[in-house]
Amino acid sequence: MKRRTLLKASLKLGITGMLFPGVALSDYPTGAFLAKQIPDALQAAFGTADIGESQQIEIEAPHIASDANMVPVRVKSGFDNTESISLVVTGNESPFTAYFKLYEEQNFVSTRIRMAESGDLLVVVKADGVLHTNQRPIRVGRNSCGA
Amino acid sequence: MARTVKIRAHEIDGQVTVKSVINHPMETGLRKIKKTGKKIPPHFIKEVIVSRNRRIVMEAFWGKSISRNPFLSFQIAGRKGDLITISWLDNRGNSDSTSAKVR
Repeated sequence: MKRRTLLKASLKLGITGMLFPGVALSDYPTGAFLAKQIPDALQAAFGTADIGESQQIEIEAPHIASDANMVPVRVKSGFDNTESISLVVTGNESPFTAYFKLYEEQNFVSTRIRMAESGDLLVVVKADGVLHTNQRPIRVGRNSCGA
Repeated sequence: MARTVKIRAHEIDGQVTVKSVINHPMETGLRKIKKTGKKIPPHFIKEVIVSRNRRIVMEAFWGKSISRNPFLSFQIAGRKGDLITISWLDNRGNSDSTSAKVR
């Protein structure tokens, strides 16, 4: 086990160490990605599941997604000093989907996600050390993927 | 190996919009082969690191719920000619890295 973690660590250092010497990178939030329930995932990722809602987070996603395997999502944080943007999908086997850690002044992220069933997309934004959340319901077509 | 990352970056008024697609199966580990009923083992990108002019800009941690051939887009401050590098690492230890200039 120890050897394995060591191997992984060296791999990560291999690609990052060469490119960015002297930068302390964060670790993969394994606990959050393994959690099956949303409160557990939030607890593992941020240390609290009690996060206030905010309309300053803009979520752009289709009301009805034709392909559940490729749901385009655009997130814009209206906060200054946005530190991270996270995506959580209700109904997926592992709800925690993505965690974007931002190092420069930026507030926009877009990607494509999988949805096992119709549900909510939860976005958690950390800005100035404070957590905010917002959500959007998304309905998906029939050929879902099970993620 | 063929390049796995495609990057397009263009600048408008000091704001650089980067769009990229990574070629990757992003296997969840839940899909089964219909004939045998065997599960296809998970194979997905865990981490993506983005840098501008060798300074890290964004670190993305992904789970299985990201689509196949993941698309990633974001906006940063920058100029024409800046070097955007995107590197990824998957759960099997494979990795790749590509750079592109901002246009």
